[in-house]
Amino acid sequence: MPLKLRVRFEKIGKIRFIGHRDVARVTERAVRKVGLPVTYSEGFSPRMRLSFGLALPTGYESDSEYVDLPLVPGALSGMAADSPEIACGSALHGPCAVESAAAGASYCSVAEALSAALPDGMRVSAVLLQERGGPSLQSAVHTCGWRFEIPGLSTANAADATKALLEADHVVATRVHKGQTLTDDVRGSIGALSVVDETSRGAVLAAELSATPRVVRPSELVAALAAGHEMGIARRTHQWTCTAGVRAEPATPAQCSLNRREELVSE
Amino acid sequence: MTTLWPRLEPLLPRVSKPARYIGCEDGMQRPSGGPHLTSWLLTYPDTYEIGLPNLGLQILYELLNERSDSWAERSYAPWIDLEAELRAAGLPLFSVDTHRPAGEFDIIAFNLSAELVYTNVLNCIDLAGVEVRAAKRSDADPLIGAGGHCAFNPEPLADFVDFFVIGDGEEVVGEITEIVGSWKRSGKQSGTRAGLLRDLSKIEGVYVPAMYDVAYDGPALVGVTPKHADVPPLVGKRTVADLAEWPYPKRQLVPVTEVVHDRLSVEVFRGCTRGCRFCQAGMITRPVRERPKAQVSGMISRGLERSGYDEVSLMSLSTADYSGIENLVRDTIALGGGALDGCGDTLSGAGRVSVSLPSLRVDAFTVDVAAQVSKARRTGLTFAPEAGSWRLRQIINKLITEEDLYAAVRSAYSQGWHRMKLYFLTGLPSEMDPDTQAIAELAAACARIGQEYTKRASVTVSLGGFVPKPHTPFQWFGQNSAEELARKVRLVRSALGRNRRVQLKWHDPAASTAEGIASRGDRRVGRAIEYVWRKGGTFQEWSERFSLDMWAEAMAACGLDLDWYVHRHRNADEVLPWDHIGAGLHRDFLWQDWQDSLAGYGVEDCRWTPCYDCGACTEYGIEHMVASSVAPNGGSQGTGQDLATGHVVPVELRPRMMAGAAGSAGGGA
Repeated sequence: MPLKLRVRFEKIGKIRFIGHRDVARVTERAVRKVGLPVTYSEGFSPRMRLSFGLALPTGYESDSEYVDLPLVPGALSGMAADSPEIACGSALHGPCAVESAAAGASYCSVAEALSAALPDGMRVSAVLLQERGGPSLQSAVHTCGWRFEIPGLSTANAADATKALLEADHVVATRVHKGQTLTDDVRGSIGALSVVDETSRGAVLAAELSATPRVVRPSELVAALAAGHEMGIARRTHQWTCTAGVRAEPATPAQCSLNRREELVSE
Repeated sequence: MTTLWPRLEPLLPRVSKPARYIGCEDGMQRPSGGPHLTSWLLTYPDTYEIGLPNLGLQILYELLNERSDSWAERSYAPWIDLEAELRAAGLPLFSVDTHRPAGEFDIIAFNLSAELVYTNVLNCIDLAGVEVRAAKRSDADPLIGAGGHCAFNPEPLADFVDFFVIGDGEEVVGEITEIVGSWKRSGKQSGTRAGLLRDLSKIEGVYVPAMYDVAYDGPALVGVTPKHADVPPLVGKRTVADLAEWPYPKRQLVPVTEVVHDRLSVEVFRGCTRGCRFCQAGMITRPVRERPKAQVSGMISRGLERSGYDEVSLMSLSTADYSGIENLVRDTIALGGGALDGCGDTLSGAGRVSVSLPSLRVDAFTVDVAAQVSKARRTGLTFAPEAGSWRLRQIINKLITEEDLYAAVRSAYSQGWHRMKLYFLTGLPSEMDPDTQAIAELAAACARIGQEYTKRASVTVSLGGFVPKPHTPFQWFGQNSAEELARKVRLVRSALGRNRRVQLKWHDPAASTAEGIASRGDRRVGRAIEYVWRKGGTFQEWSERFSLDMWAEAMAACGLDLDWYVHRHRNADEVLPWDHIGAGLHRDFLWQDWQDSLAGYGVEDCRWTPCYDCGACTEYGIEHMVASSVAPNGGSQGTGQDLATGHVVPVELRPRMMAGAAGSAGGGA
């Protein structure tokens, strides 16, 4: 059965200013540095097959970015033992355990190795070994959780604005896309919105926004909530999938990546 | 230590490409500084994505951070959107490493790779909070330094820069560090800056413009002469004799955002003696100093492993001339394959290492090299015939025949390439319309060869207007006007007709004129550069920001004759603004080579033939360091050796009399 690694990572701090294509480039280099046996496309210019979740707007932080790394057949060794290992090809790394934290082992894990190979601020928080196939991350994710700051806006004013916005039947958002100014009603995309905290700069809000039919950004909410205010730092806290009515994350930091080990071993 | 990051961060969401300003590269250093250490801010006066890959800057960055008495950070010209935000917020130019204000560094040192960045240099100095004119600076202000190829004519920037480094920087930055360090430790006392500058001017390879008087006779330059007896009348370049002693960069910066050369770069040799007469780099970086192959291989394998790159660029002025280039390429590509042994052939793309070879000479690009390179991903291929006709290639001493070019092109197409780029110059000395039109014929013939191999075959012609450069045999030549260059571009375009296999791209002829002002300008031209900068003329290398009208207006406002500076042929006895700067080349060698050029005589490549004493080796007591005693892969220029294609370059080499030189030491391999 072809396997893949589903990797969850953070993007926090200065690194939030790199774009989605930059993330792909640094991830590709990190995978090569670790020497993970991933698959490449065919043809004259083979490219590493990386499949990311929803693109994060440049400048946003995130606790919950995802990338799937399809593995080549035979990449897994040590299947008979308690912990699957991946034969990494880099001189910097020997075999890497898929995840060692749960087992309490001290040897290098894929998560640790990838974190070390990625720039500061991009830390891998979970690595799952999964069967390939199934819906892509991009199509599976249907809402995103966000947390964002509005500098200069008091929590009281933020609460009033939030209440008014949630009571409204329509929330008109304006954005510029490919040089055109587009206006649409995003009320239906706002799943939840509340004031959750306050910093020295202003109110902190949390929201859950739909990813379909298009990804609604917190900056559009800020424009609707507090005209004239610039959004402070925003962070994606979750990417939610929904399967048969069950809401779940593609991987959670607490989740042990070996949760499918029994199945795999019994094959 | 001060960091501007908390004040800078809120500005970045408002600007384009904010990743330009965050640093975070693999290999970035976070120096802790120290009051007794000399601090350098190495600044590239163009955008981050152009400046980051610059190897010279990266080499000095590592060297200065390795020393116990210095540290260094980096800065790049902020794009106009961030510049406006910085000025509105009252923030200065900053380092990308720790976001320290530029004004806190002891030295702000600029890399000068192109003349059109000069207005950006002024803008960066101003944005650092430092007086733009050196004479107005106070004792505690940072010292403004500059180096790089353009420093070989420092005069246009002489009023704005405290010191220039001429030639290789590896050794001299240490000497500058020591002198600036002792001055710093003595407290940068009031009134001591002039003394410091005088001390700096005594370092070999360091030019301090304030220590020199300039005399004119009407428009003519009479001379640039030292004000004091202990200041050298001629500042000779610095040359690192053995590249093997300088295996840098050891930790090449790997950026987190896209830059123009996003790959591992390993310098395989420095210098070039092919003798192309238009090429300043080939004249001022002599002699040829090859890096030993074992060291190159080690730098490649360690660099790939560390960086995660899968592409390596073998850097030099003419990489196919490297001794044993085929073996090097083969071994490099094998590095990728070896790493994943045992994983089966399904790993078709994994571990592949592709090699890119910039600046290829067609006479050294054989089917063997092509085959080696094409084993991995086929990188872009660029050949530089430079001129369309054999007659004109003789004039410029680019001694490659049409057959050489066609053989190289055939090698590439036969190994699977379907597209390549051909570089040409127009506006060369003695160029006539048939020479210009021959560019189109050559390109069309290359595309026809390609069609024997693939229906998709195409050729891109990149056409640049020739700008004569200091320290070359063409330094006396009057540059073509923008109108004439534009006419020649049109000639090529109409000669190509409706050939859809050939795409033509050309450099803006107006930009060549502005480049010409700064290229051979004297100290007076600095006023025009300042004028353009004050009118907002930054990023002049960017076509959307460039305007020749602004330069013409600046020259007129400063009472300078653009025509006189750019389009005029110089005389043999004319004092040139860079005569007090030495690249090692005898002036009579350059003049003789200029005359030989017009007479159609060629000059051989002295790395494989006896020395003709241009001065570069004999003046400095150094020699070529070349592993092979014969030209690789053909490239028979002057050696009499058969080309791979089976014939000898049909050029008449001028019998040399070793004129004006004592002996012929220093040549050969």
